Amino acid sequence: MTHAHLPEEAYAVALASAPSVGPATLRGLLASDPPSVAWARNRRELGGSVHEVARIWARHTELGISILLPGQPSWPERLAEDPQAPAVLFSLGDPSVLEKAPTVALVGTRAPTRYGIGVAAQLGADLSGAGVSVVSGLALGIDGAAHEGACGAGASPIGVVAGGLDDPYPRRHARLWERVAECGAIVSESPAGVRTEKWRFPVRNRLLAALSDVVVVVESRHHGGSRHTVDAAAARGIPVGAVPGSIRSATSEGPNALLADGAFPVCSAGDVLVALALEGAQVSVPAPARASSGPSRADPAPGTDLRVYEALSPDPASLDDLTRATGLDLSALCGALERLALAGLAIGVGGWWERV
Amino acid sequence: MLASVASATLSGAVGRAVTVEVHVSNGLPGFTIVGLPDAAVRESRDRVRAAVLSSGVPWPLRRITINLAPSGVRKGGAGLDLPIAIGLLVAVGELGPDRTEGLAFCGELGLNGALRHVPGMIALADATSPLALVVPLCDAREAALVRAGVVHAAATLEELIGILRGQSEWPEMPAASAVTRAASVPDLSDVRGQAVGRRALEVAAAGRHHLLMIGPPGSGKTMLAERLAGLLPLLAPSDALTVTRIHSAAGCALPDGALLDRPPFRAPHHQASVVSLVGGGSWSLRPGEVSLATHGVLFLDELGEFPVAALEALRQPLEEGVIRVSRAGGTVTFPAAFLLVAAMNPCPCGEGVYEGACTCTPASRARYRRRLSAPLLDRFDLIVPLSRPDPDELLAGKAGERSAAVAARVATARARAAARRPGPESSQGVAPDAEALLASKLRSGDLSARGLHKVKRVARTVADLAGEDVVSFAHVSEALSLRAGRAVVA
Repeated sequence: MTHAHLPEEAYAVALASAPSVGPATLRGLLASDPPSVAWARNRRELGGSVHEVARIWARHTELGISILLPGQPSWPERLAEDPQAPAVLFSLGDPSVLEKAPTVALVGTRAPTRYGIGVAAQLGADLSGAGVSVVSGLALGIDGAAHEGACGAGASPIGVVAGGLDDPYPRRHARLWERVAECGAIVSESPAGVRTEKWRFPVRNRLLAALSDVVVVVESRHHGGSRHTVDAAAARGIPVGAVPGSIRSATSEGPNALLADGAFPVCSAGDVLVALALEGAQVSVPAPARASSGPSRADPAPGTDLRVYEALSPDPASLDDLTRATGLDLSALCGALERLALAGLAIGVGGWWERV
Repeated sequence: MLASVASATLSGAVGRAVTVEVHVSNGLPGFTIVGLPDAAVRESRDRVRAAVLSSGVPWPLRRITINLAPSGVRKGGAGLDLPIAIGLLVAVGELGPDRTEGLAFCGELGLNGALRHVPGMIALADATSPLALVVPLCDAREAALVRAGVVHAAATLEELIGILRGQSEWPEMPAASAVTRAASVPDLSDVRGQAVGRRALEVAAAGRHHLLMIGPPGSGKTMLAERLAGLLPLLAPSDALTVTRIHSAAGCALPDGALLDRPPFRAPHHQASVVSLVGGGSWSLRPGEVSLATHGVLFLDELGEFPVAALEALRQPLEEGVIRVSRAGGTVTFPAAFLLVAAMNPCPCGEGVYEGACTCTPASRARYRRRLSAPLLDRFDLIVPLSRPDPDELLAGKAGERSAAVAARVATARARAAARRPGPESSQGVAPDAEALLASKLRSGDLSARGLHKVKRVARTVADLAGEDVVSFAHVSEALSLRAGRAVVA
């Protein structure tokens, strides 16, 4: 059987799949030569055969993974001038969505607060509804919440992942992974079969920043991984926004520090659209997040309920704090809190209560 | 030349009747003990010899053989010293054989002839029934708990010989000394703030609900737990006897040698082995911590640090109120009806009660929580998140309510619950809005079917504490709050 019909992409995938070839080596190999030539020159060291190339290529086609190479028309414009652009890009879903719309990265910690999850989902949905593609890493926490909000809300979401596209990571997001691939695209620098290893995350974050017009940090601890994304964005002159948070919350340390460093504050999707210079253009600015909270709300009943409501704040308070503030016994306090929760005025999680 | 004396030995928490046979014959002088004695029994040769000599009786230079019948059962402990000595004295003719008729003997001998304490005296007294029992003076009150009127006591072997020879009378049984026993339990008034933690203790005590406290280091979990036993009512006489029996068998010191009528509080360390927790041993099956805590409180601090095997071993006692310990030598059932109170940090860094504060990775949190199986977590009716007390309140706040006041409410609530006609929980009054609240929690997935049942039970206890017949919206709300920690560990 002859393999003369194998396209250039097949050789690029084979090179990327060689165990001894990392992203930087691959960039060096493909810098001057087309993939087939680079492969032929190095086939002895790589120990590969044409059969092997054909097998890897067949596996990628089978999985529905498309391969993007620099210089091809499908190669994203944003990566054309990038100093550390990947040599090969793998994509699940429609790769053209990388070019279709303005893109905003929503990133943050894997262990967020409810506040962070709520904001990420809201921003995801609002931006997507305004025709902006939401870019995120499909990780637990903020990343996942942003895409949960963005999926099906309008523009195509873009996932940027670290490992091979045949291995959804983290496993808990396998469903979300499918949905993003369905209505948008998931891209990676790694060929199928590559496990998600720790060192690949900074590389992924660099690509994530490079593919975005604006990067927004929703919640992040002081030394969180979002720092890599922000650094990569700063190096490329991409504007960085941050969602302000409570000064008492460890998860808001990152964004608050960014704000002090000159990042623009993000309080609604509108702020991001301004940064994209899109406000009032072809997209409609959605109403701010605050005004759009679900069912109609009654005012708290005067008496105990009102007293408890007034003791609540948007910061979570423990029941001990609330008993001290209201002077009520626990039964009366809990009763009032549950009534407020049913009316949509308060919410309690794990024994902490806050005003909605 | 031959004598036989009744006694008993301890096996697990029960006594076994033993007959001590003494044979004295001509031949090379010697002293042998047969009948599966353990090391302590074998060593009794030397103690008996010294004690007999110290009591002014010459030692027979003849061949002495002791048989402990039944021969197939292992005998342990030094409690057989006294019957061996008495048997010997009868066999050599120092005492008439009729003198020991109708009597059983238990006691350890000192080299000076003093009679010393033997653990498990209650079980030994049971096993020697219907014979009258002669014990060391210090054990007289303990033995009399179950054999009142048929217990005799003596302080030394010499005194006992005199009595048995008819030269003197049995001394009077020691009277109960007026010992104050309340002082040892710490009082709830030491706890400042912590409204939720205090209330959780009260509800746990009133409804016998197992309690899990989750909070960062320094939130007072241990302090609260130590005060729970003081909120429980004094034990009923039959329960007190069960508790005393177990403690006696385990060799624990009894207050003034008398009945333990305070609910016990046991707090094994998290490095406790499974055997020490549930009971066991190679052949003498000893009761474990779960049994020593029966009718009282078992407190497991740092629940997440206990070996998984030890935690899983708690499931049978939590379900059935007893623990069956099986060994090659046999199976023993110990009582183990305790109130379980546990404390743990929400995550390895300890700060995870409030979601934003934790610095653990999701993986390390998950690993920490995996140690607690869902079936074990399901045993807890109350899962209470605690936070650190407010500094101002800690420094300047007024002292909390005293244990006695809370204990009075607990006793009233328990009486109320006991007086309620038995029947399924749902058949009794629950306010419609309270039912609606539970239904909405069930529908939203905040509550599982099992959780629903538990919340209802706790809400009923809350209503009992409030002295109300109908479970109201507020009672259910409080019960939900006292379970809110489930979200932190699940």
